[in-house]
Amino acid sequence: MMLLGASLCYAGFSALCLAMDRHHQDLLGAKPGRQRQWILRWVGGVLLALALGLLIAKAGWAMGLVRGLAVAMASAGVLVALLPYWPRAALALAAGAVPAALVAGVY
Amino acid sequence: MRESFRQAMAWLHTWLGLTFGWLLFAMFLTGTLSYFKEEITHWAQPEVPVRALDTRAALEHAQAFMQGAASGASSWYIMPPNERRSGLEVMWPAPSEQGRAFISKQLDPATGQLLFVRETKGGDFFYRFHYELELSYPFGRWIASLAALAMLVTMISGIITHKKIFKEFFTFRPGKGQRSWLDGHNAVGVLALPFHLMITYSGLVIFMAMLLPATLFTVYKGAPAKFYQDVFPNAFPAPAKGEQAPMAPLSRIYDQAMAQWPGARFARVEVQNPGDRAARVVFYRHAGDRIAYLPGASLAFDGVTGQLLGSSGVDEGALLVGGGFYGLHMGQFANTAERWLYFIFGLGGTAMIGTGLVLWLSKRQLKYVRDPKPPIGLRWVATLNLASMAGLVLAVAGFFCANRLLPLELAGREDWEVQIFFFTWLAAFLHAALRQGQRRGWVEQLSLAAAQYAALPVLGLLFTGRGLPRAIAEGDWATAGVDLCALLVALLLAWLARKVASRATVQAAALRPARVMP
Repeated sequence: MMLLGASLCYAGFSALCLAMDRHHQDLLGAKPGRQRQWILRWVGGVLLALALGLLIAKAGWAMGLVRGLAVAMASAGVLVALLPYWPRAALALAAGAVPAALVAGVY
Repeated sequence: MRESFRQAMAWLHTWLGLTFGWLLFAMFLTGTLSYFKEEITHWAQPEVPVRALDTRAALEHAQAFMQGAASGASSWYIMPPNERRSGLEVMWPAPSEQGRAFISKQLDPATGQLLFVRETKGGDFFYRFHYELELSYPFGRWIASLAALAMLVTMISGIITHKKIFKEFFTFRPGKGQRSWLDGHNAVGVLALPFHLMITYSGLVIFMAMLLPATLFTVYKGAPAKFYQDVFPNAFPAPAKGEQAPMAPLSRIYDQAMAQWPGARFARVEVQNPGDRAARVVFYRHAGDRIAYLPGASLAFDGVTGQLLGSSGVDEGALLVGGGFYGLHMGQFANTAERWLYFIFGLGGTAMIGTGLVLWLSKRQLKYVRDPKPPIGLRWVATLNLASMAGLVLAVAGFFCANRLLPLELAGREDWEVQIFFFTWLAAFLHAALRQGQRRGWVEQLSLAAAQYAALPVLGLLFTGRGLPRAIAEGDWATAGVDLCALLVALLLAWLARKVASRATVQAAALRPARVMP
């Protein structure tokens, strides 16, 4: 469950990161359009909220909030550490995180 | 107006961070190690065997042992084994002529046999150091609390100073000198900010009764001790009746306790007035059973009849909030994954303080790059940076090596371990002063520390019956984990030493022509 939450948080933070002009430029070679920026922000926010909601639903408010914050901090840390060294891997991991989370969620 | 406020906050952040940074680095690093306190203690006592967990049988053995060894004692304390502690520890008050408070023995939880275990503080040393600094009560706690308060102020002023928290949320640009240090300092500070704020604030909450006692004095009319009687009613035994009576078996009382609180773990079993008609047995719940740490949560039984007398556990209102912060700080509830996250965030906090100290210095050193004799203040800061960071890592390694190398029969062995920690730290400070905190000093201390950490698994293999291969084969992951982490730390330190060394040659090359020119 923690891994599922961490995957969703990682994907969420990646979307929020891509919603910023500089990072979008660095990673994908161009600035994002207004509409795309708006979508990325919403996707990022929804993924983070979903991760927190799932963890709280699973483990209750106290443990859920603690775990939610922990995996959010850890996943953002991984993303920021990966970005300058392996930007492609960082993006690939984000793209793979949601399907992986779905598979993990089904089982 | 706004800008001058920010400047004032930047000043506060800079100078408070510098003055308390050295101490805070030590508190954060040793506090971080404390998340693996039990594992480090287990590693430090290779004589304690790993057994299948059976609390009931362990209590039976403890009772049998105590009835022989401590029948006249006023109380017994039994610490049964759990998932993280393989040993069974028993304690009782020492006779007054012995000069210490308690006698403590380790038993084999499966057979009840008295074990010979090397004297060591193990992980407890780091745990106590991180809030008492090896100073006597209450001075260490006051200094640590003052440092925690400074940390809180430094963090808040740092947030105000940092203009682009959201704009640079994901920014880390390595390989760009000072820019990278600042990025790293900001990233580790901002990304783990909830942890940093929680750990610092909760550290202060833990000492609230010491730091802000006015409420207690007011409500309890100058007798604050009564507060503890209200919170821990089971900790105050009734006087003995002076009438002998056989005790009920602890294993039977344990069954009742488990029926009362299904699935509970118990950290401590206290027998008050053993052998007396007024005997009382108190089962204290393990703090890891929930987030909030409520140390009074316990079940009390009549020690003769085995009947439940009452349960205690104030878990509402202010105590629950206070206990919540206490529990979050200690992280006893954490499972293995959560414990590792705690450890990593703790290292993050340590790195935040360390990068801050490096930044303070490197910003000011820029002005004196070509000056062979920079101002004395800078040289002192450079010395203290080296001694407080690399020197501390070296001292920790010294403590671990002492655990493996000191003769087992040495009198006062556990105090020797602590003394070796401080001697190593002092030696590192003198060496740092000799090198004036220069890169060469860093390379030397980091290399030596790397060698010491790499040596730990070898020493374990040579001098204990539980070296790394055997620990892995037996699935003893606490012992194996400490050894493996020591190897990892050794690699990391060696890599750091190499990196610092390569920078030093670049800098020296850049400096040389400048000296030739008029």
